[in-house]
Amino acid sequence: MSLMTMIVKMSEGLGKTCAIFFLTLIFSLPLGMIVALLRMSKIKPVAFVTRFIITVLRGTPLMLQLLAVTYGPYYLFGASVARNKLIPVVIAFAINYAAYFAEIYRGGIESIPVGQYEAAEVLGYTRTQTFMRIILPQVIKRIMPSVTNEVVTLVKDTSMAFTVSYQEMFTIGKQIANSQTSFTPFLVAGVFYYVFNVIVDYAMGRIEKRLDYYK
Amino acid sequence: MADKMNETAPSILSIRSLQKSFGALSVLKDISLSVERGNVVSIIGPSGSGKSTLLRCASFLEHADDGDILYDGQYALKGGVYASRAELNRFRTRFGLVFQNFQLFPHYSVLRNVSEAPILHGEDKEEVRERALSLLRKMGLEGKETAYPYQLSGGQQQRVAIARALCMRPEILFFDEPTSALDPELTGEVLKVIRQLAEEKMTMVVVTHEMPFAKAVSNRVIFMADGVIVEQGDPHAVLENPREERTRQFLRVFER
Amino acid sequence: MKKTLALLLALAMVAALFAPSAFADGKKTFVMGIDPEYPPFSYLGDDGNYTGFDVEVCKAVCDYLGWDFKVFGVNWDEKLVQLDSFECDCVWSGMTILDSMKEAGYVISEPYYDNTQVLVVKKADGFTKSADLKGKIVAVQLGTSGETLLNGDLAELAESFDSVLTCDSFLKCFTELQGGAVDAVFVDMPVAASYVAKHDDLAIIDENLGAEQYGIAFRAGDAELCKAVDEAVQALVENGTYAEIAAKPAYADIVNNLLFLNAETEAAA
Repeated sequence: MSLMTMIVKMSEGLGKTCAIFFLTLIFSLPLGMIVALLRMSKIKPVAFVTRFIITVLRGTPLMLQLLAVTYGPYYLFGASVARNKLIPVVIAFAINYAAYFAEIYRGGIESIPVGQYEAAEVLGYTRTQTFMRIILPQVIKRIMPSVTNEVVTLVKDTSMAFTVSYQEMFTIGKQIANSQTSFTPFLVAGVFYYVFNVIVDYAMGRIEKRLDYYK
Repeated sequence: MADKMNETAPSILSIRSLQKSFGALSVLKDISLSVERGNVVSIIGPSGSGKSTLLRCASFLEHADDGDILYDGQYALKGGVYASRAELNRFRTRFGLVFQNFQLFPHYSVLRNVSEAPILHGEDKEEVRERALSLLRKMGLEGKETAYPYQLSGGQQQRVAIARALCMRPEILFFDEPTSALDPELTGEVLKVIRQLAEEKMTMVVVTHEMPFAKAVSNRVIFMADGVIVEQGDPHAVLENPREERTRQFLRVFER
Repeated sequence: MKKTLALLLALAMVAALFAPSAFADGKKTFVMGIDPEYPPFSYLGDDGNYTGFDVEVCKAVCDYLGWDFKVFGVNWDEKLVQLDSFECDCVWSGMTILDSMKEAGYVISEPYYDNTQVLVVKKADGFTKSADLKGKIVAVQLGTSGETLLNGDLAELAESFDSVLTCDSFLKCFTELQGGAVDAVFVDMPVAASYVAKHDDLAIIDENLGAEQYGIAFRAGDAELCKAVDEAVQALVENGTYAEIAAKPAYADIVNNLLFLNAETEAAA
């Protein structure tokens, strides 16, 4: 198999890799905020349960969570295994990344001085207005570097979808490597991930720069 | 005639038997005071005396344990029980608060810091903008409208904060040690602005350590220590000729 | 220059110390590379130790030759790379002999097992021949001979399927089947037999889709090692140890496909 054929075959899987990546971000970024708010809830049991769930999600391998989401329902309830593996894969990824984003958000929210809330309160901002207009924009700026880190990790983590037989780029690479008894597909995969991450890094850098108008 | 008006019109702010403790620590013990329209009241006293807590209770940032707070004769707090949230929101439009650390919104331009709140309250955008611009001019901040807080000096930031509070058109303005976070050479410009407001008969309560300022601007000075009002009255009387030993002790520090 | 040489020498000595085939107190250590999830040839036993037909035979070989015996669990898709990097001395784990291995220079033992690839389906679906699976989804384990066949000799059959899903373990292949995500699993006969025996809802399509043989792979240049192992296995066949191992109930599914035993019976007959 020529290198070109390899690259073409693996690029076909790249679409699925991108699907995991973008869908995970679309769902986990807002979900993380909900989890963060529950985690900081004044209702003790809510905060406690959320905290427990976060520790489970952060304290167990993503690969296990993928297996649990994909095959768990079958083993537990005899439910059928999804034919379209993108669904369980995105669910598992989104939940896992939401836990990480939640902790990043929480750190960001807690780093905003109380005075900002008080100033807004005295000026008659409602709670929602205070959060959306005053707190959140400042939080986003502060957490951008940590979020970038997670996003870069996510690019590489997409390869874990292989564990539930989702045929993304790395899975195809492994298949080719296996049938051709060749290491080249792994090299190609490495280059793909690297280029992907260079683009991600550039995009995140642009966003950070756009938030640079204040200190 | 004027005297008669004074007798009948209720004080803009009345506080009666206000009590507040943090855990076992009693910070305000039975504080009563009232502020008449157009008056400037300075509150002085050692740190930990409860001056800031008093202002924070008056602006609902702290939850008082007991007592009454009335704005223009209406109860915001009655016998330790607060009015409904909606009513408190209406009371909030009556006062403004200037913080020691300015608490400007760093991601907003100067103009937006000043004008956003009234716009959110449903006022006409153009009208608010005009008012904000004229307030900024008055604060000597012409040309800084598009600047961000981090680009301003501490004195300029505090003047923006004052403009922001004024843009809400409050009936009374609270200052919580407005110059304490400033370098000494910058306090003058902020005090000048407050003095100018006093000349325009703005009702103000100022927690301060600036004795000459308190003497020159206030209609009344209150000396607080350990959660109680030790002495109050005419600024010259309290600051130059205090009756109480505690007051004399405190003022001696400033004479040096 | 001298320093570099000394450094290299030191490195080589350290490497020798850790190399699996190092001789320790004069005894050779033989490291067997296995897929730890391939019953009944090689798997993690109930007692937590690796066991299986291949493992037991290999252990008997080592005992026979007076070698120290060690097991190393390889990553099946990268078994040959791991063999080349001296992580093990052989790959001996129900491994299908492929022409490509010989072409790549690997030394392969005498074949010892005749393997057959079959399709496993759900009884309820009623499929009885491979042609019934036209337009259906078939799962196969990555790195198995089944996958190779579907990409090679059986490409035509593979194309009649809707798609081929590659899983990284045969257990996942079967879970996909039982969970309804795929319609069939293409797998080695013994694996199919042992799994179907435990799961009433599954059936094997009675159609031999690719006759293949299992052997042991050694590194290029290890022909002597291969010869020693081959001869030892023959000795075990002759002294009956081999048959003794094969007679265990755990290996009932594969005993009929063992080439040496059947050759012996044929010879006896």
